[in-house]
Amino acid sequence: MTTGLVTLKINGREVTVREGTLILDAAKEAGFDIPTFCYQANLSGLGSCRMCLVEIEGQRKLQPSCITPVMPDMNVFTETDTVKMTRSAMLEFLLSNHPLDCPVCDKGGECELQDLVYKHGPRKGRFAEDKVRHHDKDYILSPVIVKNANRCVQCMRCVRVCKEVVGRGVLGAVGRGVHQEETSFLRTRLDCDHCGMCIEVCPVGSFMRLPYRYRARPWDLVSARSVCGYCATGCRLTLERRGDTVVRAIANPEDGFNRKLLCARGRFGYDVMNSEERIKTPLVKERDGSFRPVSWDRALELMKEAILRAGPERAAGVASATLTNEELYLFQKFMRKVVGTANMDSTSRWSAESSLKFMEAAGIRGGGTSVYQCAESDVVVVLGGQLSEENPVTDYILRYINGARRNTLVIASPRGMKLDSSAQLSVRTVPATTGAFIAALLKALVEKKEVSMEGMEAVKGLTVEELSGVCGVNADDIRWIAARLLTAGSVGVLAGTDMLRYDDGAEELALLVRLLENTVRDVRVLPLLDRANQRGAWDMGVHPYLEPGYRPAQRRGHDVHGIVELADSGGLGFLYLLGEDVLGLYPDRAGVERALSRVGFLVVQDSFMTGSAPMANLVLPMAMYGEKHGTMTNQEGRVQRMEAVRRPEGEVRTPLETIGRAGNLIEKDFPVVRPGDVWKEIQKQVPGYGEVRGMEAFKGASADQVAELKPSFSYAVPERAEGEFWLLTGNHLFHGARLSQHSGILRELLGGCVVEIGSTAAQRLGVGEGDMVEVEARGYRERLPVRIREGTPDGVAFMPENFDGKDANRFFDKDRVVSTVRIRPYKKQGE
Amino acid sequence: MKEKKREGVLDILKKVLFVDILKGLSVTLKYNVSRSVTVRYPDEEKWIPYQRFRGAHTLNRDEEGRELCVACELCVKACPTGCITVVPQEDDTGRGIADRVPKIWKVDLVRCLFCGYCEDACPTTAVRLGRDYELACFNRTDAVRDRERLLRPQEVPEGFEGGMVVSARFERTKEGIRVKPDIWKPRDKDWWKKV
Repeated sequence: MTTGLVTLKINGREVTVREGTLILDAAKEAGFDIPTFCYQANLSGLGSCRMCLVEIEGQRKLQPSCITPVMPDMNVFTETDTVKMTRSAMLEFLLSNHPLDCPVCDKGGECELQDLVYKHGPRKGRFAEDKVRHHDKDYILSPVIVKNANRCVQCMRCVRVCKEVVGRGVLGAVGRGVHQEETSFLRTRLDCDHCGMCIEVCPVGSFMRLPYRYRARPWDLVSARSVCGYCATGCRLTLERRGDTVVRAIANPEDGFNRKLLCARGRFGYDVMNSEERIKTPLVKERDGSFRPVSWDRALELMKEAILRAGPERAAGVASATLTNEELYLFQKFMRKVVGTANMDSTSRWSAESSLKFMEAAGIRGGGTSVYQCAESDVVVVLGGQLSEENPVTDYILRYINGARRNTLVIASPRGMKLDSSAQLSVRTVPATTGAFIAALLKALVEKKEVSMEGMEAVKGLTVEELSGVCGVNADDIRWIAARLLTAGSVGVLAGTDMLRYDDGAEELALLVRLLENTVRDVRVLPLLDRANQRGAWDMGVHPYLEPGYRPAQRRGHDVHGIVELADSGGLGFLYLLGEDVLGLYPDRAGVERALSRVGFLVVQDSFMTGSAPMANLVLPMAMYGEKHGTMTNQEGRVQRMEAVRRPEGEVRTPLETIGRAGNLIEKDFPVVRPGDVWKEIQKQVPGYGEVRGMEAFKGASADQVAELKPSFSYAVPERAEGEFWLLTGNHLFHGARLSQHSGILRELLGGCVVEIGSTAAQRLGVGEGDMVEVEARGYRERLPVRIREGTPDGVAFMPENFDGKDANRFFDKDRVVSTVRIRPYKKQGE
Repeated sequence: MKEKKREGVLDILKKVLFVDILKGLSVTLKYNVSRSVTVRYPDEEKWIPYQRFRGAHTLNRDEEGRELCVACELCVKACPTGCITVVPQEDDTGRGIADRVPKIWKVDLVRCLFCGYCEDACPTTAVRLGRDYELACFNRTDAVRDRERLLRPQEVPEGFEGGMVVSARFERTKEGIRVKPDIWKPRDKDWWKKV
């Protein structure tokens, strides 16, 4: 890209900007504010609203500054009488059809039209004609979006954001001129991401939030800057409450790396906080199996007795990777110092070894990598997982950057995803063969260019065809990707959680990164994680083999697999599940159910009655995001501070307070602390966090290597009988972990479990979208509605892991790499 | 000397005839026979203030009986004492003039200083400060008036001119005491003339 500089004059002030800059941005830099409607950063220019017209010396007509790039020696005037008169006249035109129903409109008080009319507008309208009315009553476009076309100013931001950023393109402009209406085709209900981006970008009250409809006015709200807790993209959001009820979550364009972007989970999943189903007091299990409320003093006393009775060897804990850094740090300190054990984990889904390998390959222990830098690389490779559903906002960022820069986007994953449409090449790998795919890529790279590098000797013996047979990707495609990688100036690799789940491909990825560093030099790896603070959990040392800052533990403990095995053998006297639903997520439900029932004393601290909670001896309530202060580290390594929007209700306490008091009860010198105190300790103890300041900053690197990576280069296709499906699981687009199922709004988007298969498989089975099928494996049967995903090959099925009662992990066999299920169309009797 | 003597006689005569007493009493006696200035409140009469008077709040309806309030909360914003609470809700059954109506609309008259800013802010002339000035209550919570109470038709209609004393009846009911005016029976149209 050319980066020549251009000097021009704006209102007589000289300003030097990069070539290609818009006059609007140059004026902003010079300190002049130009009003706009249709302009939106990161969207394609349109220039339709004519609010940003400016005068340019030598040109007879006024020019729209939002689509006119600067030219050398331009002389621009933004505040002349003509410009001011034009602005006022444009607003008068807009108001000629805009219904003045501000008192009723939800946007009133934060409306851009209101603001601009107040600032630039005419004080009187001269139009006496009737206003154009598209409809009398607001109509519902989706469970979260309500539309009033009468208020539209036809800026087309919603249409463009839906197409260019979200990638759905379900909105369009119907009609022309004053009769133009931005809406869905025939005003029907939308089948889309329900992300609400159209609401966020709408300058007026044309698109509105249905859950927030007529709940408050903007000035009623008390807000706090928080961080979304549903995935590791870690979007900054502002939670707003009226009274004690949280009424909306918004993305502040001035705040956070995600700017205006949020997905459905982030924007509408806030109402879990208001849920009536939340655990409100500590509960202790009676002899007859029922729960009785107890005081916190009594509960902590019981916990202390159980810890002392069990002893360090027979105690363990699993903390959720959605907690804050402070809580996770204190948790591991409590387990190591007070309980005296290293039996702990921050996941219930993968082994400690696989996480060690992934950390090393994805550079987790290193400093942060910005998602923007990664997405702006010449070639971007997405490996494994389902980026569009696991990390929707990362998907949005990749899409609009790809749309603007036209760089090469390559996707290799087992399931089809929305981002496929933006990718230059999208290949489907057989589940759990990412390693084979990367090995094939390595071989193809070596074929094209001689590389002498440690660890590459073994690659020479492989053949691309053989490996492509394993991973199911065409050998020509692999060679095409390799050719692209070799000519690229920079490469970004996004590594998904499939690598962790199936302990697959991390070694090869590390080798690929080293190889590319030798050839391309500029290589960035971004891990794609599905739990909000997974990276923070590892940084804080909630890991059986690692202490804070990736220091190897002096004494290794058991990971989640070890803990479950220990419990199964009756060797566990105390187990503390902090926000983690092991029963619902561990990949062998029958086994873990048996194991949990054999634990001497099971303590579950969570916000809701999770699957594991009814098995507990003691259930403790827990505060969730929005109710606590702390820091979170997202997948990029960006440490973000979050604030509480309200205090937890009644007897609900933060894990920090619970752990502090429990620790203090057992050991007198274990302090009861506040988040700030723990943060100071983290800054001292955890390398990379010492320099973190303010609301948002990248963490630094820590030096210790966590694993030796030596690829074995032996691969096999996971077993699958003819007609069976490999069953994959993970987050659904509308649901994250086990928390979001308690959000009423998200439940309206997806109320229960579904099974997702490709269109070829659906054709083979003779089922359509929404038809019921019977999923069967390991003696379990479940009737579920079908969702068809374009691009997913036959033989791959997906079930979200987010729903109690329809748990996907019943179908999993711990001993198999990828479990398989049989799917049959379900016919009602008599059909 | 002589004059002094005459004065003494007059003095005696005045005393005998009670002249000074009658002089003083004449004011009293005059009022005894003239029409009374006292408003016999609360038993018989009640003062109805002028239209510009700012008493307790009232919520208005339109001619079709729909609530005028659209719960825009501008009155809340305008209120200098923060005595008004409005919570909107959606209701398109025709209860209000828009599908946005108040779920809660209450005013704390103990805090209110009757400045009338809420009236000025109201875009639909739903809230008016009426002519109810009998605000005494036994309990502070009784001074909080809610939507149902405020929506009741006013005793003195908006269009009634006021500035007069009308006949009234003192009533003692289960809800408490009240003075019920009969605005069509004015006792004294131009009460100020008498003062």
